[in-house]
Amino acid sequence: MSATATVAPTPGASRADETAPVRIAVKNLNFFYDNGFQGLKNINLNFHDRQVTALIGPSGCGKSTLLRTFNRIYSVYPGQRAEGEILLDGRNILDPSIDLNELRARVGMVFQKPTPFPMSIYDNVAFGIRLYERLGKADLDARVEEALRKSALWDEVKDKLRQSGMGLSGGQQQRLCIARTVAQRPEVILFDEPTSALDPISTGRIEELIEQLRSEFTIAIVTHNMQQAARISQFTAFMYLGELIEFGQTTRMFMNPAKQQTQDYITGRFG
Amino acid sequence: MSNHIVTSYDTDLQNLRRSIAEMGGIAEKMMDEAATALVRRDSALAQAVIAADQRLDALQREIEERSILLIARRQPMAIDLRETISAIRVSGDLERIGDLAKNIAKRAVAISDQVQPQKIVVGVQHMSELVQEQLKDVLDAYATQNVVAAHDVWERDGSIDALYTSLFRELLTYMMEDPRNISFCTHLLFCAKNVERIGDHTTNIAETIHYLATGETLPTDRPKNDRSSQTTVEPPAPQNPAA
Repeated sequence: MSATATVAPTPGASRADETAPVRIAVKNLNFFYDNGFQGLKNINLNFHDRQVTALIGPSGCGKSTLLRTFNRIYSVYPGQRAEGEILLDGRNILDPSIDLNELRARVGMVFQKPTPFPMSIYDNVAFGIRLYERLGKADLDARVEEALRKSALWDEVKDKLRQSGMGLSGGQQQRLCIARTVAQRPEVILFDEPTSALDPISTGRIEELIEQLRSEFTIAIVTHNMQQAARISQFTAFMYLGELIEFGQTTRMFMNPAKQQTQDYITGRFG
Repeated sequence: MSNHIVTSYDTDLQNLRRSIAEMGGIAEKMMDEAATALVRRDSALAQAVIAADQRLDALQREIEERSILLIARRQPMAIDLRETISAIRVSGDLERIGDLAKNIAKRAVAISDQVQPQKIVVGVQHMSELVQEQLKDVLDAYATQNVVAAHDVWERDGSIDALYTSLFRELLTYMMEDPRNISFCTHLLFCAKNVERIGDHTTNIAETIHYLATGETLPTDRPKNDRSSQTTVEPPAPQNPAA
C-alpha cells in the first residue's frame, strides 16, 4: 500500500524537465516601491533553461513586479529598488555595474498591450538590432526575416514589410512585438499577460508560438488565465501578497497542489 | 472547503454528489433484493429489481452529461477536476453493479421453480452479504472522502475472491454428482460470478476515492484471490472398471 503511482505528466513536448540547467536563480529577493511598500518578500525561485514558467496569482500579488526585476525595467521609476540576488547564468543582474542595455538585449519583454513603434514592420523588427549591431543590408534583411519567421508572422507580412506596423491586427501586432524581441537573440523572454487583449484565435497563435520559442529560449509568463498556464507552461509559481506560496511542475500544480491557498485560487474559491 | 466565488459552480458539484448518492442507494437496494429473491425464490421481488435498473441507467447518463457540461463550462481544476472525473467513473461502476444485480434477478426467476440444495444457495448468499457490506462501506467512504475506509474496502476484496473460488469448486462437484444439478448450478455459478464482479466494481470505487482525495492512483496490483480461472475438479473414478 505504501507504493503509490503519481499521476503521470503529459508525455511529449510539455513535460517539465527538472534537470534542465537553471537559467535564472532568484535568491532572497525583496522589492520596494518608492512609497516604501514591499512588493516582493524574500522570493527564492529557479527558472530552468528552455522551459516555460508561469507566474500566477491574484492582482497585486507581485507576479508582474517579479517579472519586471529580471530586466530591471523597474529602474526607469526612481525610488523603486530590489534587494537580494537574481543570477542570470550565475551573474547577479542587480549588480550596479551591469550594463542595462546589454541586460535588456539578453532578457526581452513582451507586454499585455501590443506596443508596435510608429514605423514600418521592417523597421520595428530591425530597431533592436540596429541599436547594438552594425549589419549590412543583406545581413539585416536576413535577421528580420528570421525573427518574423520565428514569430510565425513572416507569411502574413512578407509582401508589406514597408507598411506601418500600426496597421496590423492586434494579434499580428503582438507577434510583431515578439519578433522585435526575438530579433535581438535574447536568452530569456518575459511575457506579461501577452494574450489578455487578444481574441481566442490570436491567443491560440501566441500560445503555439510560445511552445515553439521554448526550444530556443527560457520563458517566463505572467497570466491570469489558469487554463493558459496549464496548457503552455512546464513549471508554475503561485504568488500571493508578494510571497511565493508554491512552485512546482505545472501538471502537479493544477491537478494536485500541495498548499490549500493554491488550491483555493486555481479552483476559483479565493476570497 | 470554502465555497466557489461563482455559487452555481458549487450547486453543479453538489448536484453531482447528490445523484451519485441516489445511484448508490439504488444499487445497494438492487443487490440486496436480488440476493433475497434468489434465496427465497421470490419472482415478484426479482422483477422489481429488473425494473429498478432503468432509473440507475438514466441517472448514470445524466451524471455523464452534467459532468461533460461542467468541464466545458467551468474548466474545473485540481480537486474540482478530480471530483468531476470521479463522478463519471463512480457512476459507471454503479451502473455496472446495477446490471449485474439485474442479471442475478433474471436468473432467480429462471430457477425459482427448481429444487435447490440450500447449502449452495446459502454460500452465494453469504458471499453476497460480504459484497453488500463492501458496497455500503465504499459508498460511505465516497460521501465523506475517507481514504482510510476506502483502502480497507480495497484490501478486503481478496477474501471475496477466495470465497468465490471455493464456491466455484463446490458447484462443479455438485454438477458432477448429478447431471440434473447442472441447470441451476450453472445459474448459481453465474450469480456467484456476478457478485464477485460487483466486488471488483466496489474496489474500483475505492481506487477512485483514493484518486479523488490524494490526486494519486493506487498501484494496479490489487490483492486478488480469485483462482477459479485455474481451477478444475476431476470427476470421481468409475466404481467398477472391470465391468
